[in-house]
Amino acid sequence: MLSQAVVKRLKEIVGEKNVVTDKVGLLTYGYDGTLLSGEALGVVSPTTTEQVVEIVKLMNEQDIKLVPRGAGTNESGGTIPSEKSVVISFTKMTKIHEIDTENFVAVVEPGVINFDLQVELAKKNFYFPPDPSSFKASTIGGNLGECSGGPKCFKYGVTRDYMLGLEVVLPNGKVIQTGGRNFQSEPGYDLTRIIVGSEGILGLVTKVFVRILPIPRAKKTMLALYDKVEDASQTVADIVAAGIIPTTLELMDNLLINTTEDFTHAGLPRDAGAVLIIEVDGYPEDMDGQVKTIGEIASKIAKEFKVAQTAVEVDQIWTSRRSAFGSVARVRPSYGVNDITVPRSNFPKAIGGVLKVAKDFGVTIGVVAHAGDGNLHPLILFDQRNKEETETVHAAEQALCMMALDLEGTISGEHGIGLVKKKYLDKEFTPAAMEAFRKIKRSFDPSNRFNPGKIIDL
Amino acid sequence: MGVLADVYEMLNTCNKCGGCHTACKTYKLTGSEEMSTRGRIQLIKAVADGKLEPNEEYEDAIMSCLLCGECAVTCPNGVHGNELVMAARRDLKLRKGIKPFAKSFALKTLASPKRLGMGFRLFGGMGKSVLNKIDGLDYFRGIDIKNFPTAKKPFLEQVPEKIKVQNPKHKVGFYVGCFLNHSLDQTAHSVVKVLTKNDCEVIIPKDQVCCGLPQYCYGDYETAKTNARKTIDTFLDKYSDAEVVLTACASCGSMLRHDYLKLFADEPSYLPKVKLFCDKVVEFSEYMAKIGVDQSKLHNSSPLTVTYHDPCHMVRGLKATKQPRELLQMIPRVDYKEMFEANRCCGAAGLIQAFYHEVSTDITDQKTQNIKDTNADLVATSCPACMLRLQGGINKAGQKQKVMHVADVMANAYED
Repeated sequence: MLSQAVVKRLKEIVGEKNVVTDKVGLLTYGYDGTLLSGEALGVVSPTTTEQVVEIVKLMNEQDIKLVPRGAGTNESGGTIPSEKSVVISFTKMTKIHEIDTENFVAVVEPGVINFDLQVELAKKNFYFPPDPSSFKASTIGGNLGECSGGPKCFKYGVTRDYMLGLEVVLPNGKVIQTGGRNFQSEPGYDLTRIIVGSEGILGLVTKVFVRILPIPRAKKTMLALYDKVEDASQTVADIVAAGIIPTTLELMDNLLINTTEDFTHAGLPRDAGAVLIIEVDGYPEDMDGQVKTIGEIASKIAKEFKVAQTAVEVDQIWTSRRSAFGSVARVRPSYGVNDITVPRSNFPKAIGGVLKVAKDFGVTIGVVAHAGDGNLHPLILFDQRNKEETETVHAAEQALCMMALDLEGTISGEHGIGLVKKKYLDKEFTPAAMEAFRKIKRSFDPSNRFNPGKIIDL
Repeated sequence: MGVLADVYEMLNTCNKCGGCHTACKTYKLTGSEEMSTRGRIQLIKAVADGKLEPNEEYEDAIMSCLLCGECAVTCPNGVHGNELVMAARRDLKLRKGIKPFAKSFALKTLASPKRLGMGFRLFGGMGKSVLNKIDGLDYFRGIDIKNFPTAKKPFLEQVPEKIKVQNPKHKVGFYVGCFLNHSLDQTAHSVVKVLTKNDCEVIIPKDQVCCGLPQYCYGDYETAKTNARKTIDTFLDKYSDAEVVLTACASCGSMLRHDYLKLFADEPSYLPKVKLFCDKVVEFSEYMAKIGVDQSKLHNSSPLTVTYHDPCHMVRGLKATKQPRELLQMIPRVDYKEMFEANRCCGAAGLIQAFYHEVSTDITDQKTQNIKDTNADLVATSCPACMLRLQGGINKAGQKQKVMHVADVMANAYED
């Protein structure tokens, strides 16, 4: 419990309404998108950088840890409160300071929801390319903390590639600005890129300079249907080998087609083994040629290839894809999601690997993937209330990680390490590299105050 | 676990993806997780699991839900957050009873026609004259009380039981509802006018009572059932010649057509009669669109820009969105403009506007802005509670738009 004196100080800093210490409040800030949970001593929601600084100083005085949190939709346990910690929630820092269409920059607070930013940008015919499936709920601060990807990252890259500069409150309470609205990287170390993806263990971001792009003039959305998920993975490899870069290249297997179809009724064929959602964008005159080439490649293996004709059809397809994670509780109540990623050319082998793990461990796995990036999201379905089954699932998850590493891949493409994948990190990195991680953490946060226990143990 | 046991599998089906955050206005406007659908579901689950003793903060989380139902259509897993909140409210009622104010207002006053009539008359007379003398008390918790309309006499006392027409093509039973009876009686007259202009004989049972929705929403199923049974028996036994039971209140409509079935699910012997009744229930716009309106009889001399607000119980309860828009656009010289988020809650949400006025005022302000952005002269809707809330919000913002029921807009287009 926080002492009355500390609660009083926190309330003086952020106001009465923005401090939570009751059981109900603590319970709702104790979970995220994973199956893990914890309980903090309190939750504090600042609305300005100055308040964040004051909170950090106060917590330092009191030797209390801080766990930063956005919308709490992450898939790696990155926002689960650790012992003796206060959650610092950024959901009330939601200002969009500026949209600068001349310099292709937007300046936002970390609590701005990705979708809300997209809505404001769209009014000026601009957009922010990173669009994780959770984008209607997740915040820009959370996106940068985890370095989220999204369907568009095959062509456009991940969150890291759109971060121009940050305002960061360091663990000692000092404020620094990294980068800014310049496109060229900053002189010296690229501090922006060290903070992005660091899951809040190095600093608390209070302002973000993001890169924005004009909305492409034209796009085409295609569907290719397959009997088997392995067949779809071959088309992915073929498209990449042909040197074509679609905006998106997304794969869903039969299980996900059915669970999402229950929700969206988008008309995806329930008997298909897999579907590839392929989208290209650019100038209107380029569309037909790209569609034709992709159609020819896909049709070599696909049992059906079609181009979406209406905006409504396109919307429904995307609603299906984006609701994939959310929809699987229709089959079983719990899921473990992985975001293993392999070099594109190894994608078919990785699909084979996932199918083998499902068979070897006797578990149900639904596969959805940002196939163009080689980023797979095998969803292992189970019931957390069954202890034995849960243990089998953990073993299967480990096998998936090892399989990805064997294929020269990584254990995490975009969800972060958090708590869930921490135990596999030293399988991917050598002891010397792990020590480099620790040294960076210590140089920012020698007393281990920010989001302790995430990514690495000191 | 009690009543929560019945919904436990649905509670457990929420896998905390957060997809509902975007659907939940109380979350979007507060940024507080316990005010989100996901938060509420996890709290209800904690109570069901015995990990949380229902306390005051828990009650606030459960009672501040708008019950707008948007989360249910947004959840990819098909988890109906609003139904889980209803179960939690029932659970709370059985554990602790209902808070005094809600109890006296929603349950006792609304449930009794006499008390309700008296309450409205007292407010409309003495209450308003007192209010007018107090400076700065135009708004009570965001509610525009000085302009809150009260009928001089209940609508049911103003009209005969049967309103005949020359060549009747249909016989319509009119379920008036509390708001149209005591507050917006002019709208009730509009409904009758449009029906009779379209050759419908109107039957208006005098002994009709509150549909039971307010009591149902606060977990008092017993009182809700008493009123529901009275309503069903009145229309089916005494006025069986009415082809349909028509209401101009989307909330009543949703209760009469859908929730009665849930309410009587545990009474198999009565259920067939409930089903018979539910099948007869129709909302005003649904009915007019179904029987067809003769467009040539509609007149309007000056250009009018109109927008439409979908009441929660209309769009997600009765699932009727096309009909009111079609009717409005049949009127000559009407320029129809769609507003942003037309189908999202206006902030009234039953008694939420009084109990959780801070968040509901923010919701209404957003709605009011969306209305302003359309440059409409007139906002049409299908629920008297929305009408009052919207007009209050518009007045408070210093805007000029007039809020009317679809029936009022249509009635104005008929020559007397």
